[in-house]
Amino acid sequence: MSKPDWGTERAARGERLAAAGSLAKGKIVDSADVTALLEAVIRPGDRVCLEGDNQKQADLLAVALAGVDRTKVFDLHMVQSGVVLPEHLDVFETGVAKRLDYAYSGPQAARIARMLFGGKIELGAVHTYLELFARYFIDLTPNVALIAAVSADRDGNLYTGPNTEDTPTVVEATAFKSGIVIAQVNAIVDKVPRVDIPGDRVNFIVEAGKPFYVEPLFTRDPGAITEMQILTAMLAIKGIYAEYGVKRLNHGIGFSTAAIELLLPTFAEKLGLKGKIATHWALNPHPTLIPAIESGWVTQIHSFGSEVGMDDYIAARSDVYFTGADGSLRSNRAFCQTAGLYACDMFIGSTLQIDLQGNSSTVTTSRIAGFGGAPNMGSDPRGRRHASAPWLKAGEEADPDSPAALRRGRKLVVQIGETFGDGNVPMFVEHLDALVLAEKLSLDLAPVMIYADDVTHIVTEEGVANLLLCRDKDEREQAVRGVAGYTDVGRGRDAKMVQRLRERGVIRRPEDLGVDPLDADRSLLAAKSIKDLVRWSGGLYAPPSKFRNW
Amino acid sequence: MTAPFLNDPAAVSWYEASARKRVVTLLDPGSFLEFIGPEQREMSPHLGIFDLPKQFDDGMIVGHGTLRSEKIFVAAQEGRFMGGAFGEVHGAKLTGLLRAALKADIQTVLILFDTGGVRLQEANAGELAIAEIMRALLEARAAGIRVVGLVGGRAGCYGGGGLISGCCSALVVSEQGRISVSGPEVIETNKGVEEFDSKDRALVWRTMGGKNRRLIGVADAFADDTVGSFRDATLALLEQPGRFDLDTLQAEQTRLEVRLERFGHCADAAEIWTALGIEDASAIPAMAAEDFVAIADRVQEASHDAR
Repeated sequence: MSKPDWGTERAARGERLAAAGSLAKGKIVDSADVTALLEAVIRPGDRVCLEGDNQKQADLLAVALAGVDRTKVFDLHMVQSGVVLPEHLDVFETGVAKRLDYAYSGPQAARIARMLFGGKIELGAVHTYLELFARYFIDLTPNVALIAAVSADRDGNLYTGPNTEDTPTVVEATAFKSGIVIAQVNAIVDKVPRVDIPGDRVNFIVEAGKPFYVEPLFTRDPGAITEMQILTAMLAIKGIYAEYGVKRLNHGIGFSTAAIELLLPTFAEKLGLKGKIATHWALNPHPTLIPAIESGWVTQIHSFGSEVGMDDYIAARSDVYFTGADGSLRSNRAFCQTAGLYACDMFIGSTLQIDLQGNSSTVTTSRIAGFGGAPNMGSDPRGRRHASAPWLKAGEEADPDSPAALRRGRKLVVQIGETFGDGNVPMFVEHLDALVLAEKLSLDLAPVMIYADDVTHIVTEEGVANLLLCRDKDEREQAVRGVAGYTDVGRGRDAKMVQRLRERGVIRRPEDLGVDPLDADRSLLAAKSIKDLVRWSGGLYAPPSKFRNW
Repeated sequence: MTAPFLNDPAAVSWYEASARKRVVTLLDPGSFLEFIGPEQREMSPHLGIFDLPKQFDDGMIVGHGTLRSEKIFVAAQEGRFMGGAFGEVHGAKLTGLLRAALKADIQTVLILFDTGGVRLQEANAGELAIAEIMRALLEARAAGIRVVGLVGGRAGCYGGGGLISGCCSALVVSEQGRISVSGPEVIETNKGVEEFDSKDRALVWRTMGGKNRRLIGVADAFADDTVGSFRDATLALLEQPGRFDLDTLQAEQTRLEVRLERFGHCADAAEIWTALGIEDASAIPAMAAEDFVAIADRVQEASHDAR
């Protein structure tokens, strides 16, 4: 019997590095030779991680990969967080790539849907961020990772800057399993400001000569916040934040949660809630949180990524944010997702559709935006073992009869929105479009963002529905209908049952919470414009041009 | 900085306020009386055809009141109803107000612009309204009435509104206010994104925004974004003599020709500001109102009160 060879992966890596030999001076490859480099080190059928998420993009490498000779490089299996740039899908049009496992596809939601219907893409699964990262270490380990950093030294040490995001996770999975790591950097320098990725994990560096693209996804213009959103924010603060004493939390993207952030130093401060709620956050650097930070509301924030224009402000507020020895933000998507899952007592976010049981989805029949991280934040972690007051209270509401010491707590998972959303489309539906899509694409699972059994509260301008207090399917349905207003779902409610649910506090109307809808006025917002945010920040916040009106 | 709760009318944000709130807080307290108020339900005869919602005042508020005890007429567009666009009823209310000013003993009419231009759903009636308003406005001015425009709302002052504003005796503008005829999207659509990128909001405001309009003499006074500031700027303008004669118009024509000659080649408003003698043109957009007013008063050209 011949002795097994346990070094085949390493040998293969050696061969790939040798194939690239003449293209690199040390680790440095000229940007004109990147496509040739990719053709040299990528093998047909490889699993490739092209770094990109809902924020930063390895855009130079994306263009280079889309330009490879498809007789040399084909049938790739792309394993990446974000399908965001046109090039991310171009590779499937040309046959360079065949199979896809991903998490988020916001800007390409319509095209990816068309390509999935057209059979251009063999879909593995749509994941959450944390789930995809987990699979990098089990069964979706990349052979080649194409990543982005701010700067590199000649040894390949990388400074990923405020937008570190996914990079450490991607590199960890690739470099330690005999894969190849190629980094595009804005500039090659003598000494990097701090080492985010040690050089021995990086095989090649390419100087892009311009900054990698970052999308300002988490900026919401206070000028666009409506009085209806302010009303829902007031209901959430009084009916949930104050009620449970939620200190540790994550906010999704959206105007309703931006309104909450801007009501903290005004409405919530008047209620005497400062220091009692919203002190510890898993959150990107939302510009709309600046007034709360400046008013002393916030103890600390860990971030998935950075936000365009916020870097100077963050560097000047190191008591609040996580920063490196160089002073700039250190973000980390995998750690922050984990923090949001296990160490936060509440997730609150918006959605496009909610069904009668409370399942929610951002999928419509022609758009597949993926999940990103919301299902990680917006789910009850069964592995949690530490107690906190809001977690215990929610657990008791859900299961009052079990002995306290054996009862699980519950994470608060809140969906907030207006009964009629953008374009007057109802948020409440009998059946999610996600089901239609799953059938059309023969998916095993409908792409549900937050499952009904994870949702604890729904907030609309009609009031707060506490699903923890519902004892059966019918009560749940009537609680959902009870806050669905004049949508078809809302008008289909059983008025008597809804009245009983209201008497039990399952549904709480604005007047039950002592909120007068006429008080929901934009003058309550701590900042009414992007310029107000700049003023609050003492001129440190530098908003991108598309958000300016001066 | 503390969180502001804005209940003091003089501290009300012009940009944030509704048309009605602007009028009521701009004039002497309690003095405003509306003509053809919403209770009379003079609504658009056209919007129903398109199954679009109508408004009881058709987005135009007209009436009279006092400003520092002087009896004046005032008109205000509601930018949140159809972008403040001119339709048949909307326009007729303003035409009527200007004509009535001739018969009543009125020296001053204020127009609080907040408009994207003519309402597409009633385009012909809207275009006719613009022409009628301009005629009525110039007849009022010829009779010695001062017509002052105030621009600082969400919709800006575009299209036919831009034309009417050009006929006014004087204009007050805030940083948020934009004055132009063609809007950013229209220019981009017709001339290409290289000519004008409508998504580059800093560019839009640098070009059409209140600060540039003040510096190149389109507007005669600059207000900070409060009703109080608009009131002060308006009162200051009204203290200057109003003239509307051949000499004035010829002087204005000459000024516009010289302006085109001086700045016509500039590719960006910041170049104009530098040419005007402003040392750090790049600091203008972020500059606080007080500092900006000092600079604008220093570099502004002679005002001929011709608009």
